[in-house]
Amino acid sequence: MTEHERYEVNFFRPISQHAKANKKLISTLAIIWAVAVFGFHFLLIIITTPTPEQTLINFNSVWQQVVEDSSATHEMKQVFAKSLLMVLGKNIAVKEEHKSVLKESLSWSVYRMQADSIKPFYKTEPNSETIKGAIASIGLSAEGFDKIMRDLLPSSLVKVENSALSEKSKKALPEIMELYLIHNQSFLTDFKFLGFPFHYWYTAQFLLILFVLLCLTYAVLIDRMNREYEFIEET
Amino acid sequence: MNKSNKIINILFFMLIFSGNLFAQSATELEGEFKLAPAIILIILLVTFIMVGFFNRAKDTKTYWAAGRKISPVGAGMAIASNWMSAASFLGMAAVMYGSGYHGLSYVIGWTGGYVLLLILMAGQIRRYGKYTTADFIGDRYYSQGLRGVGAGLAIFISFSYCVGQFAGIGLMFKWILGIDYAWAVIIGASVVLTYTLISGMLGVTKNMQIQYVIIIASFIIPLFILTYKFGYFYWLPQVGYGEIISDIVNGIAPGKGLSSLGHDFAILPSPEFAMPWDPATGQTAFQWIAICFSLMIGTAGLPHVIQRFYVVPRAKDARWSVVWGLFFICILYWSAPIYSAFGKILSSNPEVGVLAKDAIVVYTAQLGDLYPLIIGFLAAGAVSAAFSTVSGLLVAGASAFSHDLYFNVINPKATEQKQMLMARVGTILMAAGVAIIALLELGLIAQLVAVAFSLAGCTIFPLFLLGIWWSGSNRTGAWAGLIAGGSVALVAQVYFLAGKLGVVLPYHEFIHYYLNAWYFAWLGAPLAIISNIVASLLAKEKTPLEIKKFLAEKVHNYDVS
Repeated sequence: MTEHERYEVNFFRPISQHAKANKKLISTLAIIWAVAVFGFHFLLIIITTPTPEQTLINFNSVWQQVVEDSSATHEMKQVFAKSLLMVLGKNIAVKEEHKSVLKESLSWSVYRMQADSIKPFYKTEPNSETIKGAIASIGLSAEGFDKIMRDLLPSSLVKVENSALSEKSKKALPEIMELYLIHNQSFLTDFKFLGFPFHYWYTAQFLLILFVLLCLTYAVLIDRMNREYEFIEET
Repeated sequence: MNKSNKIINILFFMLIFSGNLFAQSATELEGEFKLAPAIILIILLVTFIMVGFFNRAKDTKTYWAAGRKISPVGAGMAIASNWMSAASFLGMAAVMYGSGYHGLSYVIGWTGGYVLLLILMAGQIRRYGKYTTADFIGDRYYSQGLRGVGAGLAIFISFSYCVGQFAGIGLMFKWILGIDYAWAVIIGASVVLTYTLISGMLGVTKNMQIQYVIIIASFIIPLFILTYKFGYFYWLPQVGYGEIISDIVNGIAPGKGLSSLGHDFAILPSPEFAMPWDPATGQTAFQWIAICFSLMIGTAGLPHVIQRFYVVPRAKDARWSVVWGLFFICILYWSAPIYSAFGKILSSNPEVGVLAKDAIVVYTAQLGDLYPLIIGFLAAGAVSAAFSTVSGLLVAGASAFSHDLYFNVINPKATEQKQMLMARVGTILMAAGVAIIALLELGLIAQLVAVAFSLAGCTIFPLFLLGIWWSGSNRTGAWAGLIAGGSVALVAQVYFLAGKLGVVLPYHEFIHYYLNAWYFAWLGAPLAIISNIVASLLAKEKTPLEIKKFLAEKVHNYDVS
C-alpha cells in the first residue's frame, strides 16, 4: 500500500472503526431526511388525483344548456351565475385575463335572466339598481356564502355589449372553470390532523420538527462517538 | 445592570411613548407617511448601533474572540439572526399567499438544508480550520486561481442575496415613508450602507442576539392577537392555525369579524390555497421538488453561513450552534404560513385591490385592524431582519474582495490601511450595485434570494462536499466541477435576463421551466459533482500527500499508524 493509498479519504470506503461508525450514522440520518421530505412528496404525487369541487359539477351540469340552448330554465341560469361567482371569489388566485372572461359571462347570464323591458339597463355601466336586480335574479340571500357573493357582485358585473356570449368566452370558459375548480386530492389531503389537512401539517409543521430532531440526534450521538473513539477534535 | 441593558430599557419606554403619541388609523394601507413605524425603526437602529458601541472590540484579536466566548445557545441565536432576512420575514409568506402549498417548498428548503450542513460539513469545516470559503477552496485544492474564483463566487453570491434584501428594505421604506418604490430603495440603501459602515466593526455577536429577539417578537406578537381576534386557538397560533387552513379550503361564512376596511372575515371555498401543486397556482410537483432541493444544497453552500462555523471555539460548539440555530429559525418558519392564511382571507374582497405580495405580512396586520404600534413594530422587525443580513453580507462580500481577492491574489504587499480602504470601497460599490438591480424588480424577494442559493448549490457546495469527503477530488476535478456548475448557472441567468428584457432565445420555454433562475441547482449541483469526480479520476495528478494526511488525521480521525 502506497502512502497515498494509506491516507485515502473516501466516505464510502472508511478505513477506521470511527469512520465506519460515522458513515453509518450519517447515512442513516440522510436516508431518514430524504425519505421524509422527498419520499413523502413522491407518494403525494402518485396518490393524488384531480378532484373537482362541487361547483364544477354544478357548472358542468348546466353550462351547455345555458350557453347553447335557449330553453335553459331560470334555475339553471342561477346555478351558472353562482358557479362563476364562486370562481371570481377566489380573487387573488384568478388571473386578470380569466377574470374578464368570467365577468363577461356572469354579466351576460344576469342579463339573460331579466325581463325584456329591463334588459337595456344592463347594457350600460352597472349601478345600484342593476346590482339589486342581479341579486334578486340569481337568488342570493343575505347569509352565508350568498352574502359573500352579493358583496362580490359590484366588482364582478360589467356592461353587457352583446345579447349573445362572445365566441372567445364561450370557448375559454370551460377550461377556466376546470383550472380553478379541480384540485389534487387524496386521503392524505382530506384527512385532518390538529385541524390541518394532513399533508399540510406534515410539511409545514412535522418536517421542521423532524429536522430539529435529526440535528439534535446527530449532535448527541457524534459527541458520544468521539468520546468512544478518543477523538480530540481541535486542531 | 450593564450599560446596554439600561439603553434598551430607556429605548423601550420611548417606543411605547411614541406609539401612544402618534397612533394612526391602520385603514390607510399605503401612500402616507407613517410616523409611529418611522420612530420605532429609528429607535431600533439606534439601539443596535449603541449596543454594538458598548460591546465593541478593542482590537482585531478581541473582535474574533468575542465570537469564541459565546455559548452554543447564543451562537444559535446569532446564526438565526444572520439567517432570518427579508426573505424569511416577508418573502415566504408572500410566496404562500400567492401560490399556496408551493410556498412551503421554500420553508422546507431553507430549513432542511441545515440537516445536510450539520451532518456533512459543520464539524469538519471547523476542524479544517480556515477562515473563509475562499481560503478553504484555495488550500484544499492547492490553487491560487481557485482561491480567486472562490472569492469571486462569494462576492457574487452575497451580491445576489443582497438584491432580495434591498427589495424588502425598499418595500418597507415605501410603506413607512409613503413614497415611490425607487426612492424608497435609494433611501433604504443609503441608510443600510451608513448603518453597515458604522456598525461593521462593533460588537456583532451581541447585536445578533438582540436582533433575533426583536425580529422574532415583532413577528409573533401580531399572530397571537389575530388568532384571538378571529376566534382561533390563540395560546399557540403555530398549532391553532390548522383550523384556518381548513376553513380556507371549505370556505368561511360571514360572522367571525370584520377587517379594518369593514369587510367580513369570510371567504368562499378556496382549496387551491392548501392542495399540492394546484393547477390554479401554475406551479407543478417538479417545481416544488426542484426548489426544495436547490434551496437545501444552497443552504449548505452559502459562504456567509459556512463562515459562522469558523468563529466558534470548538467543532462540538459548531454542531450544537446549528441545532440551536435551526430551532430558533424554525420558530419563525412555523409562524410564517399564518400570515399568508390570514392575508388570503382578509384580502379576499376585491375592493381591497391588488396588494404587493412581498408586503403581505404588514398588510395582513393592517387589514386585521391591529394597534398601529404593533404594526409599526412588525414593519420595523422586517427592516431589522433585512438590515442584520445585509450588513453581514456586505461585510462578508467586502472582506472577500479586500482579503481573498485583493490581498491574497492581486496585491500581497498591501498594507493593512490599504486593505481597510479596499474593504470600504468594496462595501460602497456593492451596495450601489445591489440597489440598481433591486430597482429593476426582477421577481419576488424569496425568488431573488433563491438565485443566490442555486448559485451556491452549483458551485461551492460540490467543492466542499467532495473536498471534505473524498481526498481523490483534485484541482482538475475542482475546475471541471466549477465549469459544469457555473455553465448551468450561466445558461439559467442568461435566459432569465433575456426573458426580462423581452428577448426570446431558442428553447426559451424549455429552459425557463427546467432551468429556472430560482431552482437551476437541481441539475447544476449533481452535474458539478459528477464532473468533479470524472475529471479527478481521469487526471494524472494526485491530491498532495500533506493535504490527504491532514484530511485523514485531523479532519476525519483516520488512525493509519
